[in-house]
Formats: sequence, C-alpha cells, structure tokens
Amino acid sequence: MARLPLEGIRVIESTYVFALPYAAGLLADLGAEVIKVEGPGRIDTTRGGAFGGAYADNVIGDDPWNRSASYNILNRGKKSMVLDLSKPDGLAVFKELIKTSDIVMENFTPRVMRRWGLDWPNMKKLKPEIIMVSNTGYGHGDGPYSEYPAQATTQESTHGLTHITGYRGDIPSKAGQSYVDFLACWSALLGIALGLRHRKKTGKGLWIDIGMYQLGCFNTSEFIMDWMHNRNLGRRMGNRHPWRVPQGCYPCAGDDDWCVLSVGDDEEWAGLCRAMGQSALTSDERFATTLSRMENHDELDDIISNWTRTLGKYEVMELLQDEGVPAGPVFDARDTNLNEHYWARGFLERVKYPENRKLGERALISRPWRFSKTPVSIKGPAPSLGQHNRELLKGILGYDDERCDKLEEAGIIATTPTNHQSPADLSMDELVRRGRLAYHDPEYKQKMGL
Amino acid sequence: MLPTALDDIRVLDISQGIAAPLCARILGDFGADVIKVEPSSGERGRSLPPFHGNDPHPEKSLFFLLLNLNKRGVTLNLETNKGQSMFKELVREADVVIESYAPGYLASLGLDHASLERENPGIVMTSITPFGQSGPYSGYKGEEIVTYAMSGIMAISGTTDREPLRHGGVQSQYESGLNGALATAFALLLRDFTDEGQHVDVSMQEVVASTMVIEQPFYTWNGGVRGRRNPEGAQFSNIMPCKDGYFISQPGGGATWEQIADFYRREELKEPRFAEADQRSLHGPEMDEIILEATSDRTMAEMFKEASEDYRMLFGIAQTPEDLADCPQLESRDFYWDVDHPVIGKTKVPSRLFNMTEIPSSYRIPAPLLGQHNLEVYEQGLGYSRDDVVRLRELSII
Repeated sequence: MARLPLEGIRVIESTYVFALPYAAGLLADLGAEVIKVEGPGRIDTTRGGAFGGAYADNVIGDDPWNRSASYNILNRGKKSMVLDLSKPDGLAVFKELIKTSDIVMENFTPRVMRRWGLDWPNMKKLKPEIIMVSNTGYGHGDGPYSEYPAQATTQESTHGLTHITGYRGDIPSKAGQSYVDFLACWSALLGIALGLRHRKKTGKGLWIDIGMYQLGCFNTSEFIMDWMHNRNLGRRMGNRHPWRVPQGCYPCAGDDDWCVLSVGDDEEWAGLCRAMGQSALTSDERFATTLSRMENHDELDDIISNWTRTLGKYEVMELLQDEGVPAGPVFDARDTNLNEHYWARGFLERVKYPENRKLGERALISRPWRFSKTPVSIKGPAPSLGQHNRELLKGILGYDDERCDKLEEAGIIATTPTNHQSPADLSMDELVRRGRLAYHDPEYKQKMGL
Repeated sequence: MLPTALDDIRVLDISQGIAAPLCARILGDFGADVIKVEPSSGERGRSLPPFHGNDPHPEKSLFFLLLNLNKRGVTLNLETNKGQSMFKELVREADVVIESYAPGYLASLGLDHASLERENPGIVMTSITPFGQSGPYSGYKGEEIVTYAMSGIMAISGTTDREPLRHGGVQSQYESGLNGALATAFALLLRDFTDEGQHVDVSMQEVVASTMVIEQPFYTWNGGVRGRRNPEGAQFSNIMPCKDGYFISQPGGGATWEQIADFYRREELKEPRFAEADQRSLHGPEMDEIILEATSDRTMAEMFKEASEDYRMLFGIAQTPEDLADCPQLESRDFYWDVDHPVIGKTKVPSRLFNMTEIPSSYRIPAPLLGQHNLEVYEQGLGYSRDDVVRLRELSII
C-alpha cells in the first residue's frame, strides 16, 4: 500500500461553512486523521439552510443536521466531536486535544481566539510544533478592515470581481457562489504542505494567516496592473473576449440547453465555418479578419445561434472539437453527475453510508489533482454529529466513561444540537415553484445506479 | 534573511500561458529556484495584454511580469535532439518540472515523466491542462469560457431570462495555478519520505468543478438541479446601485434584521413582510424599491464603513481596479511587492497570497528577460564553455 502524504498527521479543526471545512476534508483524503469540533449551540452552517443544499431524498428525517448534501461532501472522512468551547471545561478539553495534534484550523473572528487564549502567541506556547491555520475575511493585522464581518458573496464585489463580471453594458453581476472560500481552502492546503516540510526540517511550528479578500484581489491582478500602468479600468463584456472572436454562449435544441465556443484565429474560424457547413463564410469580407469579425460580432452571433439551435449541446461540442475549435456544453448538475469524462478520471467517487444514517450510497466530487504513484481517495462518509465524542475522549485523552458522562450531563459534549429549528418541509415541485431549483429529475437514482 | 519553505527545491518551468506559469511562480515566491525554459521565440505569455504603456513588446507584458516573478530564464529548443539532452541534464539537477503542453506532446519528445524519472527518480512533474491527462476529453481544446461552461458554474451564473454568464477575467487560470502549486507541494512532502517523484495531473475543468459543492451533491442527494437567478424581486442579496457605484448586502454577520433596517434608516423594513426571511422572498420587488430609495444619496465608501463597523453587517461594495491599486487593507497585508524590472521600470506587483510566520513568501528577482540567464545556467550550472554557449545559440538550440 502506497504511503499517503499525511499519514500519521492529526488535524483538529473548529471551522465553519466552506473554506476550511473543505480543506480539512481534503486533508482526510490525503491521509490525515481529522477531528471536527462543533459547538452544541453552534453546529456547522452547512448542516442546513441555504448553505446546506439538499436533504437526502428530500426527507428531513429525525436528524436533519446529518442529512444535508453540503455538510456531507465537505466533511468526508472526518471524526466528529461536539464540544462547548464557551464553557471552561469544554475549552480545557479542546486545549488538551490541540496538544496531541499536528495541525489546528479555525475561522473565528480574531476577538474570539484572543478571548480563549488561542491566538497565535498563546497557541505557540501551548504547542510550539503546531501548524495553525486561521481564515478570516480580511486577514489579521492592523489593516482598517481586519475586524469587518465578511463572507464570500459580499466580498466578491469588494475584491473587484463583480466590476468585471456581468452582461455586456449591464450592472455588475453576482459571480459564483462563495468564490473566495475555495481560494482560501486551496491556500490552506498549500500553506500546510509547506509548513509540514518546514517542521520536518526544523521542528518548528508556524501560523498561516489567510485573508480571503486578498486572494480574491489577486485573481484580478491583470486588471489592477492595467489600471496602474495604462489607467484602463476594465469593463463587463458578458461572455465575449477582448481578442478572441467570436466567443459566446449560444442556445441549443432542448429546454435551457446552451453551448459555448471560442475562436482565436483564422484557422479556428475556418474550423467553425466547416462545422456549420458554411465554408463560404470564410471568404465573406464581413468576417474575413479578427478585426472585421469583432466589428460584426452581433451578426455573427445570429448566424451561430441559428446553427446551434438545431443541435444538441453535446453535438455542438463534438462537431467543433473535431474541427479544432474550443467548445463545450454548459453543464448543469445532472450533466456533471452523469458525465463519462468525470467518471473515467475518478473525479466522482461513490461513498456508502452506514445503514443507520439512512443516506444510502451517493457520488461525491473527489479532487482536481491525481498523483501517479499515490492512490488518494475519499476515506469515508462524513460523521454524524458528535459520533466520536467518547471514542476521542477515551482513546486520545484517556478519559473513562464516568468522566464522559459528567461532560455529557453538563451539556459540554452532545450528539444533538441545542438550538435546532426544523427546516420547512417543501416538496421538490414546491422548490422548483419557489425558484430554488431549475428542475428536478425523479430518475436520478436509476440514472446514477445508486 | 528568513529561511524559505522551498529553498532546497529547483523547478524547471517549461509551461506557457497563465495557470502553469503562475503555479511555478508561487513555488518561487516560497523560495524555490525556478528556471523558466522558453523556446527562442519566447513563450506565448509574453504576448498577453495588458502591456506597459499599451506597447505590445515581448518584455513589456504586465501579465507576464506577474506570472513570472521570482524566476530565472533560459531559452532551449526542446524539439531538437541536443535541446532534449540538455533538458535532461537540467532535470538531473532539478526537483520539479511544471508543464502545460497538450497531453502526449512531451512523450513524443521523449520528455514525459516516465522518461525523465530514468534521469532522476526523484523528479516531480506537474501538468496543468484543460481536461487532464486521461479520459475521453483529454485531447479537447480548452479556453476560459469552455472550462467555465463544462465545470458547471456557468449554469448557475447570470439570470433566468438570459444566457448563462461567465465570470470576468481568467478565474479558472488563477484557480488552477494555485491548485498546481499545492499539489506539487504535497508531492514534495511525500517525496521527503519516499525519495520517489511522481506525475501530478491537474485538470482545470475539475479545479473549477471542485467549487460546485452545493450543486454536484444536490443532484445525487435528491435529483434537484439549481439554475440561474430570477431577475425579478429579491434584489436584496444581489448587487444594487447607490450614489456613486454599486453595493451588496446580505442578512447575517453580527447584525439582526432590526439593525439592518436601522442601517437603511427605514422603519417599514421592520414590518413582518420584510423581517421574516420566508416573507422577504415574496415581497422582493417592494423591498428593492425601499432600499434603492434609501441608498440613492449614499456613497459606497461611507456605507461600507458604517455597515461593517457600526452594524457588523455583511456588506460589500463593487470596487474597481483603481480602488484595489490603492487599498490600505492590501497594503497592511504586504500584498504588493516593489519590483524594478529592466524594461518596465519600477512598479508594484500583486503578490502575497496569504501570510505565514517563519517561511513567508518573499520577493527576490523580477521576471526574466528572454534568455537572460543562459550563460549563468548553462556555463556555471551545466559546465558548458562560453564557446559552447555561443555555438548552441548559432544552432538555434538556445
């Protein structure tokens, strides 16, 4: 059995929403033992509500907090502990667990960690060899925004992405979902890999201080530099490209089916014309050069749309890729889950849940990187809330049952949340009616062989 | 000088464009000695706008400067036998190769990972390509918009009355560069234990698809498929105009709904039809009107400060490149590094991704001019004589 990169590494994390929970889930894939700590009155936000996404089989069940799709993908392969850090005895347990760990991850506001005596200066005293990862909206330090509340959806404007995202000539558009969370997730992984190498060489721990805002700003760097040097502010150009033409998103046969294509030079232009069966267009002076195609982009869009409307989105991809033109369908979640390329590459992995979870078997995103000699895979399902309370207290800290009972009686450890509000029970049709879903596919299980 | 994370690592960057060069730059920022290996005509990244002074000169691409900071540069023609054998000599003294060619191209030159590990069993090769090294689409051509479409994210971007919308800039390229760097770092961490290199395969399509953590499992959980936003109503949580630009605000953070209503100075927002989340979505258009009216004479900067500091709200403003070029928060985080480039001159380059004690990222050298370090690398590094180097240049090998 090949060695995994993080064999023998213990991670303790008390993190919420997407960024660091996801990073820690990927650390579990890479071989680490990951302990997720949540508060009894503050369970992870992805266990329900808007961030939770779907409930399994759209059944809320007796333990809805264990049934949401987002929680289960992000927290795969972890152990779960519910621990009230706001009580001294809970905090003491947390500190004892940190002392046995290699990596600690958190995304509390800077104030909270200071109050708990778990900010970096104190953390370093508690365990000098620890690698600590903190993720906040704007990063620690003395910058004017450092204490501002933040989340990705409002930050994507502040870090400059919405200024350049939107339909042509229209107002700025909301971009993705939680974009900077993923940048923070990947940065945490990079920092941890570098930190572990450093620790191996020197025996020293370190602190990784991630501010999501600057990660988002970095990804608009070419616009910032264009402003600095040329006083060009950038603009919203919809699906068009500054010099590749034609480029766009075009309607296909079918309900809300779309394809995209992008032509970069005369050779690809000729390929597009051949694919459309309109080779005569290559000698049409309106479209003879990149410049003239740019001037007549609207007209060209009409010609392309008239062609794509007659075809399925996968047909367009195949016809154009065969001619050497970059093109592809707009995938929705059904396309993604049923896609042969993803399955062939192992980008989706099947995860089987234990009987008592009543979740069956599902497919989850694995990772966007493969190691030729190290077979990495999802280690197991996400745990149910507090599933490993006693196992961890007894196994790692050597507590006996009596001591565990006392913690449970005091509400410091738990397996149910104290403040859970039952979510609205809406049918799939109702979810569509309310605009939360575009559609639902009742045959998803058969199609996926689940 | 502080120690660096990768000061024992040499990287050969034979990649082109944006994502893979960025990956190599990130490794350079953390201390690796990165040698950029280009064909004698220069890689295509040198023709990427924007340019200093809008002058499309191969040493004036600002994008190239950004992506190739902290690298030395040599030229080498990998399509010649001599070029290939010289590359293998470099590989013997290196730890990592970063590349972005179409899958199969390096194998056709005898320079794929399987061939290179015969020269150096510890060599890590990281490939960053649109669809990865295997699978039915691996030979397909990619582009930013194609990656975006086939990752699933375009399907939820834009509004229901219009076509799916890609995001501005080249987000998939940046995202893939970061993933290439982290995957390379894990391969190096593992090599510290096994002494064995390997081939790391990064798919840009999968990088972006990895962000679909609500959508992908939704379908396998209950068959639900999410789409684009409804253009009508519930503008709250979307971007809205104010006096001098645009802003966005969301419920949550440290603010109660009552406080949010106070921030907007509109008592009617406290009525149940707006105060209850379920009711809000049914009264979107009315609420939009109230908020639009309440913010029409307020500025972005003033609202951002008050909402964040006094009300602890989740609040964003649509900042422009001009705002980011002169941002005190970015300054406080050492985001920009002062660079003196021999052709472009003194400038600030966006740089620091995150802060780290002990081994922070740091600046050493600007992006290389084409072939700038040929003598240094071939003469001092590989032991060629000055005459050899001149002859290699005459033969168009370097």
